[in-house]
Order: sequence, then C-alpha cells, then structure tokens
Amino acid sequence: MSDTIDVNGEKWDLVIKPKKKLFSLNLREIYHYRDLVYLMIKRDFTTVYKQTILGPLWFIVQPLITTVMYGFVFGSLAKIPTDGIPQTLFYFSGTMLWGYFNACITSATDTFSGNAGLFGKIYFPRLVMPISKVFSNMISLVIQFATMLVIQGNFLLHGIKVYPTWWALMAPLVILWLAAFGTGFGMIISSLTTKYRDLRQVLSFGMSLWMYATPIVYPLSRVPEKYKWVFYANPVSAPIEFFRNSFFGSGNISPSLILSSIALSAFVVFVGLVMFERNERTFIDVA
Amino acid sequence: MSIAIRASHVSKQYILGVFNYDMFYKDMQSWIARRFGRSDPHGKIIENQVAPGDRHFWALRDINFDVEQGDRIGIIGVNGSGKSTLLKLFSRITAPTEGTIYIRGKISSLLEVGTGFHPELTGRENVYLNGAILGMKRREITRKMDEIIEFSEIEQFIDTPVKRYSSGMYVRLAFAVAASLDSDILIADEVLAVGDTGFQAKCLKKMNDVSKEQGRTILYVSHMLATVQTLCTKAILLKKGQMLMTGSSEDVIAKYTEMTNQSQ
Repeated sequence: MSDTIDVNGEKWDLVIKPKKKLFSLNLREIYHYRDLVYLMIKRDFTTVYKQTILGPLWFIVQPLITTVMYGFVFGSLAKIPTDGIPQTLFYFSGTMLWGYFNACITSATDTFSGNAGLFGKIYFPRLVMPISKVFSNMISLVIQFATMLVIQGNFLLHGIKVYPTWWALMAPLVILWLAAFGTGFGMIISSLTTKYRDLRQVLSFGMSLWMYATPIVYPLSRVPEKYKWVFYANPVSAPIEFFRNSFFGSGNISPSLILSSIALSAFVVFVGLVMFERNERTFIDVA
Repeated sequence: MSIAIRASHVSKQYILGVFNYDMFYKDMQSWIARRFGRSDPHGKIIENQVAPGDRHFWALRDINFDVEQGDRIGIIGVNGSGKSTLLKLFSRITAPTEGTIYIRGKISSLLEVGTGFHPELTGRENVYLNGAILGMKRREITRKMDEIIEFSEIEQFIDTPVKRYSSGMYVRLAFAVAASLDSDILIADEVLAVGDTGFQAKCLKKMNDVSKEQGRTILYVSHMLATVQTLCTKAILLKKGQMLMTGSSEDVIAKYTEMTNQSQ
C-alpha cells in the first residue's frame, strides 16, 4: 500500500481505473488487512454458538450421528466394505473431510450475496471474506480431528491395528488442498450467483450428489476400473483417499491420480480467482 | 499545495431495466443476437421502441476536478444527481466506466457508520471489527480504545453486546470509531446526521478540528446546506450526473438555492 504509482511524472498512492488487468491479485493488500481476517475468524467463532445449548459440542455431535447413520445404511445394510478400516473411523474421517470441503465451498459461494450490505458501504479486499472462512471452518475441523484421534487411539488400545504412516504428517497440506480447491470452486459459483440466483439452489443439491462421486461412504479400491475416470475428473477424491490411507495405513492411491488432481485443483483455483477479481469491482451494480 | 484527489473524465454508466434477466438462457440469446447484429429478443421496450442503445444511463458524465490537500469539499445536488455514485467511485465500491481517479495519501470512506457491526458482539469487540474493516490495525485500535470509549460516552456498556444498545448508543459508538481514523483523506456521506443535536454538534466539531489541525482533506456529501456551509471551504454542485459549478461553498450554495427555488 505504501508504494506509489507513477503517472506521467506525478506520484500517486492510488489510481482507480475502469478495468483491471485479467489477473491482478494484490497479495500485499490482503496482507495489510490480515488483522481483519483474524477478527472475522474471531467473530465467526464467538457468534455461531452464542445462545445455543451444546455450544461447540455440535462440532462433534453432528459427524458422530452421521457416522452412526452411514454405518447402519452403508455398512450393515448395503455391506460396503471399508478397506479393513473400522467403520467408525472410516465414516467419521470421511464425514469430517467432506464437511470441511462442503463448508469451504458454501461459504465462498455466499461471499457476494451474503455480504452485499457490507460490500456496498466500504472497500476492503473482498478476498478477505473467503480466506477468513477457510480458517473459521477449520475450527470445527480441528475439534473433529482430535475426536478422530481419540477414536483411533481407542481402537489401538483394544488391539485393532490402525496405525498411521509417515505420510500422515502431510495432513496439513491435504487440508490446505481441500480448502483451496473448495474456496476456488466456491468463488466461481459466487461470481455466477450474483447474476443467476438459482445457481445457489443447484449447489446444495449438487453437493449431495457430488459426495457420492467421492470416496466417502466407500473406498476407492472398491470402484470398478471402468469408473476410475470419475476420480480423475473429481479432484476431491485424491486428498480424501490419501488422508485415509495415511492415517489408517490402508489401500494405496496412485501418484498419477494425486498429481493430476493437484493440477486440476490449481486450475480451478486460478479460474476462481480471476472470476472473483473481475466480479468484485462491479458486482454491487447488479446485486 | 499538492493535489490530494484528481478526477479526470470520470463517468459511470448503469444499464437500465435489462441487465438482470435472472435466466441464463435468455442472457445467452441476447448475447448471441448482439454478437450477430440482430435486435435483442429480450430488450425492454422503452417508450414504444426497442431501444438497443438507450438502455444506458449515465449516473455521472465527464467529471473533472482537483482537490487540494487540506480542502474540505462539500458535494451538493438534488436527489439522483450522482452524489452518492461519485462517493462510491472514490471509495472503490464500484469501478468507474470511464476516466481515472488519482489519490495521494491514505484514504478512508464512511458511507455509513457502524459498517459490519455484529449485534451479538460486545461494544469493544465491535470497535475492533469495525476499525479493522475501516483499515486500521489491531494495535492501532488498542491504542485508541480509551479515546473511542470516551468520545462515545458509553463507558459502562462497552462490554455489553450491542444488540442491547439503544439506537443512540449504537451510532455514538460507531461514530467514535470513525472519528478515530487518521487517514489523510476522509470521504463521508451525511454521517454527521447521527445521534441527538448535542452529539451532532460534537461530531461536527470533531470533523472541524481534525481537518483544520491536521490538514486533512474531506469530501462530504450532504443535503444539509448549513452543515456544508460550516464544515466545507469549497463545494461542487452536481446536476443530472454533470458538474454544474465548483467554487467557494457560499457561492455554490447560493447557486443551488436559486436552482431549487426556480424549479418549485
């Protein structure tokens, strides 16, 4: 922010022009607003569970109930195997990761429509909002992750061998991957929803379908070869499968799937940023 | 004196009526039609004619002016003259359609007091949040906290959620945060019209003090000519998106009064 812009020999601090370049991500400006990111995260955390009965316990109750439900429907009734991983761990970890990914997409999608009042009154880099959501959604993820470790420890105590591998140390990167891809995808939707509101409805429906195209309630190893392309087209599959493999020492995921999914995710994030940046300067005129 | 703000051929165009179809396929049809030079099947019919070019509405047209450092400029005009649009462009809420705005120094804008206040958070938490939205650092806010609380006159309620505040307390706290900003340029949209008469006078005095003592540049939009007269040294008169007159605030206010009297 402190650097000046030279126009015809005159120095200015800020030049406002009609159109920006196709891609002009101002990371320094976002860094300048880092305190706002922090305060937004704090706001989310303190406000979500005010005047609730169970408070942050909801973070654990929800995935636990889902796990029991999945265990009954997909485990006991449909008898889908879980790669030798105890069902509780398998479904809990899947629900936890999918829940985080889903939260990142949904909150990025609501950036413009949910903050129209704020964005119409004051300027700050709009990316502050999806970035802070990545972290405020992480709060529930951390609590759920600790719960998962407790469950896993309990299995180990009872002699059931679900040992993590060294790859589990990559977990923060895997989470970052999910966050970046989810936010990037959500930014694409958010840029479109400022004009087409019905896309928001399509999204909630689409997310529930998308979950079934991702190895959440079944392991990747059970998928017939002719459908494997689905997981190449769906870059959430690789991080979730990798996470499970590394923590529970099961299955194996091909490096080609990981690499192609990273490339595809990076592309989506780039498109998301371009669309978001283009939209942020004029969206208020159509909102 | 150096120039703090320069507006050079600034225009803002809005598209009337048809910009939001809500249906993707209709947008595609319109786009294809325009692409191949045919008339838009979804163009709104304005005054019995399909108006392909007339849908455009210039909220501002070719605005040029320089604001010197330390100037206090009032922007006046009737409703719909483009005052608020002008502020939105300077505040970077929306981009201009044409032209360029040059700014020298740190700028902050107040189109509303208490932007981003959350009802569940306490007064103190909201001061931090609102301050950060206005571009302040946490350290800076901590340093100014006492000053903010004192100005707002609500010391005993500062750790109470703002949803329990009266509307007067709410705006006083919000204005106190805004008043603590120390940017070089301040853009404000009738924010002085908050609180009771006593508090309004206090706000006005504060604005006066900061601009005179610290040489701050102020751009102020208002319908209240008396406020413009006391606060501003110069004024700009807008009419239908164009600059009608610029000069000392007395002259411009006289012209504006004459103009509104004529139209009645």
